[in-house]
Amino acid sequence: MARMKFLCDVERCIDCNGCVIACKEGNQVPVGVNRRRVITIGEGKPGEKSISVACMHCSDAPCIAVCPVDAIYQREDGIVLVNKKTCIGCGYCFMACPFGAPQFPSGKVFGARGAMDKCTFCAGGPEETFSDEEKRLYGQNRIAEGKVPLCAAMCATKALMAGDANVVADAYRKRVFARGSGANAWGWDKAYGKK
Amino acid sequence: MNRKKNFRFILPIGVLFLAAVAWAGSPQILLSPGSEPSTASFAAINKIFTGDWQQYGQLFTSWQGGLFNRIFLLVLTIVPGIFLLHYIVIGAKSFSHAGTPIKFFGILTRLLHWLAALSFSLLVITGLMVVFGKFLGGGALIMSGRSVHLIAAIVFCLSAAGLFLIWLKDMLPMPHDVLWLFIMGGYLSKKKKPIPAGKFNAGQKIWFWLATIGGGVMAWSGYNLYSFAAPTDQLRQMAILHNFLAAALVGFFIIHLYMSLFAIKGSLTSMISGYKSSDEVAVMHSRYKI
Repeated sequence: MARMKFLCDVERCIDCNGCVIACKEGNQVPVGVNRRRVITIGEGKPGEKSISVACMHCSDAPCIAVCPVDAIYQREDGIVLVNKKTCIGCGYCFMACPFGAPQFPSGKVFGARGAMDKCTFCAGGPEETFSDEEKRLYGQNRIAEGKVPLCAAMCATKALMAGDANVVADAYRKRVFARGSGANAWGWDKAYGKK
Repeated sequence: MNRKKNFRFILPIGVLFLAAVAWAGSPQILLSPGSEPSTASFAAINKIFTGDWQQYGQLFTSWQGGLFNRIFLLVLTIVPGIFLLHYIVIGAKSFSHAGTPIKFFGILTRLLHWLAALSFSLLVITGLMVVFGKFLGGGALIMSGRSVHLIAAIVFCLSAAGLFLIWLKDMLPMPHDVLWLFIMGGYLSKKKKPIPAGKFNAGQKIWFWLATIGGGVMAWSGYNLYSFAAPTDQLRQMAILHNFLAAALVGFFIIHLYMSLFAIKGSLTSMISGYKSSDEVAVMHSRYKI
């Protein structure tokens, strides 16, 4: 079975935040929640780099390990999803996640946290596929439609790639060698000719 | 004329263009912006997006992923198990209620105690609901348990603060408390020898300090965990603290329940009426000056 994965090419990401907007708008994400964010280092200086981060859909995900009610689960294809009807909003997943992926909607009574919301890889949730309930709680289910997630689909520089891990890794590897700069400037072809 | 005039403009532009091409072709431009090795960039990026997860993130993840609910399970089974054994082997103490009863607890003390008792019981129950949430299915039930936990915490804080002020003087550690701890409060024998204790014995004092100061720490860490008021790495430390302290509190809560409900007959009524029998005070609180 394919293993779904995001890959953000830092040499291509230009910090346009298009992925953030596409995700937020396309999935009607609750107020106070950003499923995806862009991190920039060395802003305005030579060597500035940006990377778009959402849920990494980890193998052996820490959020699944700490959830006291087993609301988070992983699909066969590696996509980590949350069941919002089981989630109690305790926030343990937020503390366990190295990437700050779990988010909580604000604005409830007494500042209570609602159910956790995070990147679904545009694969909806545990509700019936294409149902209104699924769309209301989790946003679009583009994986079931055979499309890549919104963020990767709209990325103008194609820095953000999503899909089967092997295909994505292969495309990225080709890019790196074609670029011939950075760490791979003096690779096999430079040393041993065109082969 | 016109052609000559145009040429005057074209020539400098052409020279500039050639200069630009030559400059761009030099190795200088290849080393400037954007060609930094990706490994170095990722090291810098990692620092930002994983934050200080390396500090307590992994520890919190592994402990919350199995240690905490096992500790609670142990506390909930071993502590009552020990006391069941105590009840069977040594049994409860009962005292004559014939003599003049001695006033032990005023009306405000009793009121605050029962407010604290009610809210603390709710805190224990709803807290354990979260700990063992997966066996209860999670969802709205546990979520409302969290709301009850918050309200009960506020009630407990207020009543525990009152009890703290009322009992502080009697709860200060005394030399005879060490003696009490050595003989385990006399609970290991069936004989009724005078026990070295003032108004409160060492066990009660430990419970008092754990419930008030420990309760304060629980309230402070709980507030932060509820509102995410602290930085993430501090939240992890607070969650660890909240769980360990909660396990200790649940353990002592069970001890307190056993002592008041089973170990000493009529102990419960003293917190309702405010009076203890003189026989009981003479034995269990032998150093209490009326």
